Amino acid sequence: MGDILRVNMSDLSITREPLPEKWARYGGRALTDAIVFAEVPPDADPLGPENKLVIAPGSLGGTTGPNTGRLSIGAKSPLTGGIKESNSGGTAAHALARMGVSAIIIEGEPEDKLGRYVLRLFADGKVDIVHRHDLAGLGTYETVAVAKGIEAAEHRMSEKSSFILVGPSGEMGMKAAGIAVTDPAGYPNRFAGRGGLGAVMGSKGLKLIAIFYEGLGATEHADKDAFNAASKKFGAALREHAVTGQGLPTYGTNVLANIINEAGGYPTNNFALGQFEGVDGISGETMREITVERGGNVKHGCHAGCVIQCSRYYVDKDGHYKTKGPEYETAWSLGADCGISDMDAVAELDRECGDLGLDTIEMGVTLGVYMDSGKIAFGDADAAMAALKEIRKGSELGKILGDGAEATGLAFGVKRIPVVKHQGLPAYDPRPIQGIGVTYATSTMGADHTAGYTITANVLGVGGNVDPLKPEGQAELSQGLQIATAMLDSLGLCIFVAFAVLDIPAAFEAIGEMMSAHTGETWGADELMGLGKEVLTMERLYNDAAGFTAADDRLPAFFYEDKLPPHDVVFTVTDAELDSVYSFVPETAAAMGITKPGS
Amino acid sequence: MRVQLALFASLSQYLPEAAAEDRVSAHAQMVDLPDGTTVGQVITTLGLPDEPRIVFVNGRHAPDEHTLAEGDRLAIFPPVAGG
Repeated sequence: MGDILRVNMSDLSITREPLPEKWARYGGRALTDAIVFAEVPPDADPLGPENKLVIAPGSLGGTTGPNTGRLSIGAKSPLTGGIKESNSGGTAAHALARMGVSAIIIEGEPEDKLGRYVLRLFADGKVDIVHRHDLAGLGTYETVAVAKGIEAAEHRMSEKSSFILVGPSGEMGMKAAGIAVTDPAGYPNRFAGRGGLGAVMGSKGLKLIAIFYEGLGATEHADKDAFNAASKKFGAALREHAVTGQGLPTYGTNVLANIINEAGGYPTNNFALGQFEGVDGISGETMREITVERGGNVKHGCHAGCVIQCSRYYVDKDGHYKTKGPEYETAWSLGADCGISDMDAVAELDRECGDLGLDTIEMGVTLGVYMDSGKIAFGDADAAMAALKEIRKGSELGKILGDGAEATGLAFGVKRIPVVKHQGLPAYDPRPIQGIGVTYATSTMGADHTAGYTITANVLGVGGNVDPLKPEGQAELSQGLQIATAMLDSLGLCIFVAFAVLDIPAAFEAIGEMMSAHTGETWGADELMGLGKEVLTMERLYNDAAGFTAADDRLPAFFYEDKLPPHDVVFTVTDAELDSVYSFVPETAAAMGITKPGS
Repeated sequence: MRVQLALFASLSQYLPEAAAEDRVSAHAQMVDLPDGTTVGQVITTLGLPDEPRIVFVNGRHAPDEHTLAEGDRLAIFPPVAGG
């Protein structure tokens, strides 16, 4: 159990306090939630001094357990207006955990509104804040380069350094701004993308968090031998499962493009169609072919200890790094949803979003909505790039686009605005894939596929089969997955482990065994799923207090009214079923002894 | 009967040789099959590896026993996922 590092941007003070006993079982999403629940008033201005940005590795962060390096970042979201946890890969989670840091809380706001600060954590335990105005307005890639140069000059740099940072969009307080985390090669290409957390970090005047962890070893366990045995069992299951052992490492997440298109649920031209004629141009198979031909890397992990290895780099025609191999969500949002079928064009847009520090899902959906307004045409990649340049300029148009899909749709009078709780929908249309519609509608996060990834049983035949075109069984499927995901996010596990966990009983057992061996406490199935319920309960109560009602747990009207080709279906899960998904909250809240935020 | 056959990811290599006019896309082509052919019979004929797979006929999941009809599109994927 580590410490909380509390950084007050109002007086630039830093205090280190032990993690309170009541949160000893919490890490990752559970811990960022607990802190936001306890310390951020639900009516706080998300970009004001009352909001707090909380950064936490998962409970298994810093260990050698497979795929345990996810970093949770939480706050009250400027995009949704509710509680937010967005998590990222990259090297920061393990680094923080190995420093004995369970969470960083960034609070207050700097007196100098134009100030740019860097928070630095050193391997010997020293922490400081330095004023670094020279980083103001820089893109994420240049920020990392300049920061590395400065630290190298001061002899502090080594291979073992990790950065958490915002781009210009975060500094400008845009609601589509995410927070970047550097990968093992030092590229700022992993993101806690969703919900505008980059704007929260920007509002604190914080441009960059630098973590220098040279010489720090893995965290210790209550029972080292038991942990190693459980870890080995878990890794074996991940390697054994066809998805985590073969499909993901070979093609990356974008292998989904063709199968979701085949199922008729690949949102095209701002959710007007369920199949994209140009899918071949942006599919995972094509991306792999191009990358291999150009000599790019097609298989690596985004953090140490990853055994799935779904990351890759996209390179330009000369073989130079352009961006992270666009994930399925990104290739879809900047591709099919905008009618763009050229992989190089998608990669350019992805690089620009990454450098601006923008969430690629929100921005792709935003550009799709903008195209739907008729201001620019579907398929026009040059116009899409020009629109992103407006964001960099901070022009009037740029500020609208940078605030996301809903702001853009309202400003330009677009009928179809695909958002739930003000957040843009990801890459699965909820009409022919109804389970994911339940997750979009009910998730405490706003429209978020990762919150309860029903694509597993709806389309992929993982963890059973639930017919995607029918409403039956979807609420139950989504509920189970939302609870399990909240647990995985709290442990710091990559949610892709779920593909193996849903099919291989030993994988799920191994998670409990790793937790038990690491903490010395009992972690069986009941404790793990109980943790997931506690997480969702804190989030739900927070959102209730922030003003959300059942009306917010619905999809936009057009999903109930406009039939989507090729299956010509609408979303048919009933309101009563949607309202059943969080039925466990009162009982869990009573058991936790909480009623409302601050309690 | 004429059926459109599509094979993806690691199964792409099992697409039979096709005349230019039969090619539909990088992953799909038209094939001639005897009437009454089932999904399972196509899988056997193609010699697809004996592992789990995801099968769609006209965009809907279909079991191996499903009988194909003129004009159908049959798409087969190996176990894949992402997110």
